[in-house]
Amino acid sequence: MAWQYSEKTKQLFMDAVHGKPGTHLGEVDDPDGLGEHGSLACGDAMRFTFRVKKHPTDPTKDVITEARYLTFGCTSAIAASEALCRLIEQGHFTPIQALRVQNRDIVEFLDGLPEQKIHCSVMGAEALESAVFNWAQRRGVDLAKLGVDIHADEQDEGRIVCKCFSMSEPYLRRKINELNLRTIPEITNAIKAGGACMSCHHIPGGLQDLLDEIWGADKKLLPILPAGMSNLKPEAPPKRSDGQALSPYQFAKQVEKIIEQYVRPMLQRDGGGVEIVDIKDTLVYCRLEGACSGCAAAGQTLRMMIEAPLKERVDERIRVIQV
Amino acid sequence: MDVVYVDNNATTQVAPEVIAAMEPYFAQTYFNPSSMYDPARDAADALGQARQTIARHLGHVDPKQVLFTSCATESNNTALFGTARANPGRRHLVTTAVEHPAVLEVCKDMARDGYEVTFLPVDRQGNLDVGQFIRAIRPGKTLLVSVMHANNETGVIFPIAELARLTKETDPAIVFHTDATQSMGKLPIDLEGEYRHVDLLSFSGHKLHAPKGVGALFVRRGAPCRPFMIGGHQEEGRRAGTENVPYIVALARAVELSAQTHDEDAARIKRLRDRLETTLLERIPFVEVNGQGAPRLPNTSNISCHYIEGEGMLFGLSEDGICASSGSACTSGSLEPSHVLLALQVPFTAVHGSVRFSLSRYNTEADVDRILETFPRVVASLRQVSPYWDAAANRPRPDADRLIQPKS
Repeated sequence: MAWQYSEKTKQLFMDAVHGKPGTHLGEVDDPDGLGEHGSLACGDAMRFTFRVKKHPTDPTKDVITEARYLTFGCTSAIAASEALCRLIEQGHFTPIQALRVQNRDIVEFLDGLPEQKIHCSVMGAEALESAVFNWAQRRGVDLAKLGVDIHADEQDEGRIVCKCFSMSEPYLRRKINELNLRTIPEITNAIKAGGACMSCHHIPGGLQDLLDEIWGADKKLLPILPAGMSNLKPEAPPKRSDGQALSPYQFAKQVEKIIEQYVRPMLQRDGGGVEIVDIKDTLVYCRLEGACSGCAAAGQTLRMMIEAPLKERVDERIRVIQV
Repeated sequence: MDVVYVDNNATTQVAPEVIAAMEPYFAQTYFNPSSMYDPARDAADALGQARQTIARHLGHVDPKQVLFTSCATESNNTALFGTARANPGRRHLVTTAVEHPAVLEVCKDMARDGYEVTFLPVDRQGNLDVGQFIRAIRPGKTLLVSVMHANNETGVIFPIAELARLTKETDPAIVFHTDATQSMGKLPIDLEGEYRHVDLLSFSGHKLHAPKGVGALFVRRGAPCRPFMIGGHQEEGRRAGTENVPYIVALARAVELSAQTHDEDAARIKRLRDRLETTLLERIPFVEVNGQGAPRLPNTSNISCHYIEGEGMLFGLSEDGICASSGSACTSGSLEPSHVLLALQVPFTAVHGSVRFSLSRYNTEADVDRILETFPRVVASLRQVSPYWDAAANRPRPDADRLIQPKS
């Protein structure tokens, strides 16, 4: 895939690697705040340092005067690091104010980032946050008292959900909320979780389950396929590749079983239901009931919540027809 | 700025001789070779001659064993799915962990359909262990062995002639397939001689200076393989679809051309590659050549630089007009680095920092000079930015380990 970076991103990257005056490559000696994020094994990592002008009496009134970074990563990771330092210095922020700089500010500063590179901007925001926590420790500022969320619940290492990128459940929950991530691809683009082996997508307690729990109420507004699949119990799909076609009776039983086990409970959560009207070959005629019957998203429900699991588990030729 | 194109394992420039050869078949001899009228015979003749030319360069095989396809991916899909459909009783496949996705993903797909697949690992240099290979083959059970001839990322060459012989001596009913996309035109392939145990062999045109969109599959007589494309009598019903006459003519001309210039090209390209590699190793600390200890294609150099990331390197190179590729996660669709480099167990400090240079007959000494001038500069500038590197001392920071492990 060819590069789709904005001119601004390319320029910041080239300026940075050529060490142009005014760029922020490097480290502040004896910094007042130091934060790191990422790891070499994961493919990108950043060390962010800053210096403050110390307020004589009230450390919360310290002002950041200088910000520097070192980054291991791709073109956009380096450009995002440079962007972060510029935003921070331009703002003359106190460290606590600096926490307001979010990944989307970095994206905006770069005139946009390709979707799959959003995680580069998130890395910048994370490193900044960890540097501010570090500053608070050094200056004896109790952030929790000031109402800053310091993610204390993440201190105990939570259950690891994404093993490839070592991401814990509390961290994922916070990020899903903070960044308003609604789908698995959005999670992967923003923080990389689920982007390598993908085995954490639909397992119990996996990414989709987290999404369901957090956004449960809005489920119908989402692309529904993953939501549907998440409730499936981990069970080997029936073998349909052994060269022997199911008899019509077995086929119908199989369809009924999948609907009963996986589809109905899901629809019932929303006050809906489904009835199988008839089956002809691989055409399954269904009637939606209850809340589902009048729902504007009925067509989608049929396709994603009924047809998809049937295709997956019984026969990929299945077509569901709404009655 | 002149472009320095060193990504020839991705695709190649079409040779002027090839363009000249195919040109008449667009607007003059454009007929369907299956049509009955006289002018169509010229198209059919061109097709027949192309088949003969390719058959000759595969070791004087019977031309009827050469099928034309649209690309190497189609050839590979045909080989694997076609063999499976012709042998429903056998459900086990042997392949390697470093195959091109056109084989690897087909194998994974068949695994989802209930086939058992053995993915053979490679060692740190990229070599297969022959003992492991032999243990993997199951007489009476194994359907197909598919092992690539030369690796697209590292250029490492597998001993196909020997593996094919071992397979056939174990059980002649096991079908042996090789993906020769990267080796065709670069290594001699004699299917009646040393490679006589190979049943199926795939390759495409655009890696050897023919256009994209044409490939071939050698199917040895008697090898059970059902057609993949159905719906026409072309290729004796073994691959339906109107033959792409101009591109097939081009493919034959490209094969011929590469055979004519092979000896001279291979020696010259190898000299260029070796100079590139040796000088880069001299000028850049903490770099390694992936697959260096294995037999390799003369045109490929896969270099990993510790503590920096490949996508940034590519960008730096492209700013100087140098076109190469990388196995880093940021250049692939996934967030994982290349499966080939992972299989070679390239250290994690270097697995994200790979760049592949792949040369062709059109590269010059001046191209190598340009890379030698640019690449060390790009590496140095990215290392300045890297949190793991001490730019003043030009070595990794002593505390690099501290940041290295994934956070938990």
